[in-house]
Amino acid sequence: MSARLPADDPLQGFVGSAPGPQRVGMRVLLALARRPRGRALLGRSKSTDQLAQMLVSLGYYDDPRVATGLGYDAEAVVARGRKLRQAEGRP
Amino acid sequence: MKSSRTVKTSQRGDLAAGATRTIHADVCVIGAGAGGAVAAAELAEGGAAVIVLEQGHRHDPDSFTARPPQMLARLYRDGGQTLTLGNPPILLPLGSGLGGTTLVNSGTCFRTPAGVLRRWQSDFGLELDEESLRPCFERVERALSVQEVTPELAGANAAVARRGAERLGWSHGYLRRNASGCVGSGVCAFGCPTSAKQHTGITYVPRAERAGARILTGARVERIATTAGHASGAHVQMASGAHVEVRAAMVVIGAGTIHTPLLLARSGLGQASGQLGANLSLHPATAAFARMEEVVDMAKGVPQSFYVDEFAGEGIVFEGVAGPPSYAAMSLPLTGERHAEAMADYPRLAQFGLMVSDSSRGSVASVAGQAVIRYDLTDADLGRFRAGLRRMRELFEAAGAREVYLPLPPGVTPQRARRRDLKLMAFHPLGTARADARPTHGVVDGDLQLHDARGVYVADGSAVPSSLGVNPQMTIMALATRLAFHLRNEEVPCPS
Repeated sequence: MSARLPADDPLQGFVGSAPGPQRVGMRVLLALARRPRGRALLGRSKSTDQLAQMLVSLGYYDDPRVATGLGYDAEAVVARGRKLRQAEGRP
Repeated sequence: MKSSRTVKTSQRGDLAAGATRTIHADVCVIGAGAGGAVAAAELAEGGAAVIVLEQGHRHDPDSFTARPPQMLARLYRDGGQTLTLGNPPILLPLGSGLGGTTLVNSGTCFRTPAGVLRRWQSDFGLELDEESLRPCFERVERALSVQEVTPELAGANAAVARRGAERLGWSHGYLRRNASGCVGSGVCAFGCPTSAKQHTGITYVPRAERAGARILTGARVERIATTAGHASGAHVQMASGAHVEVRAAMVVIGAGTIHTPLLLARSGLGQASGQLGANLSLHPATAAFARMEEVVDMAKGVPQSFYVDEFAGEGIVFEGVAGPPSYAAMSLPLTGERHAEAMADYPRLAQFGLMVSDSSRGSVASVAGQAVIRYDLTDADLGRFRAGLRRMRELFEAAGAREVYLPLPPGVTPQRARRRDLKLMAFHPLGTARADARPTHGVVDGDLQLHDARGVYVADGSAVPSSLGVNPQMTIMALATRLAFHLRNEEVPCPS
């Protein structure tokens, strides 16, 4: 599993919105993924490692610096939407 | 239907914490998604005094960020992490707010297949056919600007699937969607930033309001009230802490397939047949990736714009799916360095989805006030996934993929996949308060009225008695239209 972790809060919001048991589980996974020994522990179970990677990936590739480098600019998508809505009187 | 035309409130002022209000209306509509919003608008325009109670919030498109983690947390119930219990566990994302799941779905529009309607007649005694539903579908399609996606708007991800299907000679086509002025922002599931997607929160809800309906958001219905077996209203807990008592002789429930049976159960309604909460059907789904030679940029274009229905007769349909890098990274079935390497080539990644028309049936119940969804995949549906994944590989290879990434653990082939090997999401839950003409077999009758309480109707996917094999929003909206005109004692007008 990659150790690259997001620094910002969107991932925390995502985790915080989950139902209770999943929320606790994801927080444990993230805590483990942030530590070398935790990552080694995660590596012992393929399914747990994969879950941790899904979570970490969601945050890492959401980072505008990473996403823009891959050709996806969320701010530009939003700005185009706002401009269209204003220009055409959309809701 | 007798009408009082205006919604009357016992006291003026805000619904502050601790306050109690009584609201009088002709019709109380619970939920503002595909079913509730349509019923509310059509009833309000027919002259009824309508109050709509929506547990979620009103979302301002200015707050949409096109970033999946943020939008999952805001626009979905439980952050899009509702999970079924069973083998395998399945993620079941549900929208939250005005528009319900239409706010976050892909906008795909299919009419109810004729074969499904025939089965509803023979198996459930429902008097529904293509001809009688045609005015309902036409009315909804016009209201939502339903039209086929153009190849240009569909983008390169759809072009990959099209190339594969054409080379294999498989039946395929571009999907019809409820969108107007779409520019292919690629984030239908995370809040349309252009308001092109015509979800019910920006179509039917404003229509209802213009016709005088009152909309309460942050309104959780505790229970539906009945008097002598007839609807009399609803008891509502507001997010602000206020309590609202709605008095209405008609209640139309559109809380969705997962939450409608729970609401009915805690109201002591709909239980006579023993079918409440049972018969849950889903469209379990998964998705595969391929690394192509050409640049795909899957987030540019309409994510779900193209389908392959060559195997629809076997219960297998392929539909487009795509999203921004974070979304793709979360579902890319690789680990470690292979994952990082494939993601570095994200512009060349293509993705397509596989949806199964299920024979499995699950159930919904409340445990400690929380929805518990049980669902186990049958052998037949496991077989459909095995066959579908094998064909998905064929599709991508025919399209010229350099590598295909199936959603299976390393070393597991589709033929040997076990339930626990599958990474599934599910969409389109249906059937937990199913319609059946016989009170012993269904929760609601052919007019969607509860068998055991007069004046209480169900207008969401829970009343749909079987899996459709296609996206269900049009079916739900058409049935809600039919219900509203039935309550208005009018024929559904044919659009000119």
